Amino acid sequence: MILRLVILRCCTAAITLFLVSIIVFTAVELLPGDVATSVLGQFAGQEALVALRQQLHLYDPPVQRYLIWLAGLSHGDLGYSLGSQQPITDILGPRIVNTLVLSATALVLYFPMALIPAIAQAVYRDRALDHVLSTGTLILASVPDFLMALLLLVLFVSVLHLLPAVSLVSGGSDLLTWLRALAMPALTLASVMAVYAARMLRDNLIEVLRAPYVVMARLRGLSGRKVVLRHALPNAITPTLNITALNLTYLAGGVVIVEKVFGFPGFGSLMIDAISFRDVPLIEITVLLSSTVYISANLLADVAAIFLNPKLRPSRA
Amino acid sequence: MSAENMLTARSHRASRWMATPLGFKVGAILVLAHLLVAAIGPFVAPYGPGEIGTGIPLSPMSFAHPMGVDQLGRDVFSRVLYGSHIVILLSFAGTTLGLAIGSAIGLLSAYLGGFFDELVQRLIEAFVSIPYLVLGLLAVYAAGPGLSGQPILMVLVIAIVYAPRIARMARAAALDIVTKDYVTAARLRGDQAWSVIWHDLMPNASSTLLVEFALRTGYAPALIAAFGFLGFGVQPPTPEWGLLISENRDLILIAPATVLGPGLALASLVVAINMMTEGLARVLGRSVDLATR
Repeated sequence: MILRLVILRCCTAAITLFLVSIIVFTAVELLPGDVATSVLGQFAGQEALVALRQQLHLYDPPVQRYLIWLAGLSHGDLGYSLGSQQPITDILGPRIVNTLVLSATALVLYFPMALIPAIAQAVYRDRALDHVLSTGTLILASVPDFLMALLLLVLFVSVLHLLPAVSLVSGGSDLLTWLRALAMPALTLASVMAVYAARMLRDNLIEVLRAPYVVMARLRGLSGRKVVLRHALPNAITPTLNITALNLTYLAGGVVIVEKVFGFPGFGSLMIDAISFRDVPLIEITVLLSSTVYISANLLADVAAIFLNPKLRPSRA
Repeated sequence: MSAENMLTARSHRASRWMATPLGFKVGAILVLAHLLVAAIGPFVAPYGPGEIGTGIPLSPMSFAHPMGVDQLGRDVFSRVLYGSHIVILLSFAGTTLGLAIGSAIGLLSAYLGGFFDELVQRLIEAFVSIPYLVLGLLAVYAAGPGLSGQPILMVLVIAIVYAPRIARMARAAALDIVTKDYVTAARLRGDQAWSVIWHDLMPNASSTLLVEFALRTGYAPALIAAFGFLGFGVQPPTPEWGLLISENRDLILIAPATVLGPGLALASLVVAINMMTEGLARVLGRSVDLATR
């Protein structure tokens, strides 16, 4: 039964991805009118326009183009970038690796940043500490991510003098340069995610702490720390995982702007550059990839919920 | 209604007002302050929005220039004051358009049900699965160079980003309304779909939609600013706050006030609307999830 539910959920995810590919193709290749003019500008020569139309197969009917594009994607043929004329797989590969390293670092930083304030608030609920942290997280939740990036920049560079203002990485950079370049964007992403997670986790933890078995543990005379860490926290893991999966969906879009702010050579800044230069094939693949991440994260959250929460399982009557 | 009922209803309302969360009151006052600044900003600003040579470029903050002076010698505080009504009007217009489109689609989908509902749901799911910033960027690209940099493009972008999310909310809210007897009665009476949606579904879904509208309006300034910051929003020299932050970002370590000033304006507006939304949601007995951006 569970397996059927999971398979069903995977099917809807596949349908969603398919629809996204139609939306992306329509938005990039059909809506802007003549793609060649849109890419090369209004004063482009006739020959250049014809050459580009041939390269992008613009003389073929849209449905045929879409199917060819989809077929190419399905066996890893992503075409060539219009800007650099390099195969997109060559450009994309290292960028994806960079972004994965960035996201992983952000996630590692995120867990303690979310859990510690949430636990403190739940334990000292309705006291001064809780109110201060609640107000603080509400304010921070309202700070847009690119502004959070700049605030952290001022804090770490001007106030604490911990990091250099600009870190450029290239293929030959040593590990230290790499870590420095990674630190600020990772910290920004982690902060944005942690603020949301802390707010939701606090409420979840308070609910758990009110549960009869926790009260019982307290009455048995267990120390406060033991009650929280041994009894309450394990039951707050499911919501934490859920919130983390939600945060992964934030990450799918969040890396775009945060990477751009710090000039981090990842997948997100590649997308922005592709849109700036109207690099049609590159826009399509980057947008599709970020949606894939979003859809996968949602799928992961739902499947995890099915496995972790017995209430969602259909009853075996 | 008997007198006794009316009395309890009134005292209930009074106690509800007394119980209005402090956050709501603070948020409401801050929002009013922002609206006031938007209305009178251009008349009280010490300098013009594009006036150059108002002070020594990059000088730190002072009484004459609370937010410093940018590279061209423009007073950042005056530019923030001039930008206020632009940010607020664009946010409001974009969210309103998104609400109109989104609630129409969502309510119709819930009312009609069947295959249409299934199709709309899948499409909504697909649109929501493109991260909001990425969807906005896609819309900016698709609009082409003709519209790029126009304020109307930002209104459209916000509407496109918000409409599917609002539609999902409206549909969910309407799902249990459509099973009510008065909707069945209207349907059997032969009322047109739009009439049922307008007269029966809309009023009953209004508190959900109101909270949703408030929540979305709160994030719209941040979205506009993000596009301005990336260079895909309104064109310079418009004093839109995201654009101000992007123009001065290279000065952040030399004259931090030129970035933190517009940043504070932006963040305080978003905080204010969020606080109001949280309070509003609590008064209306709705839950609000600030993470659903």
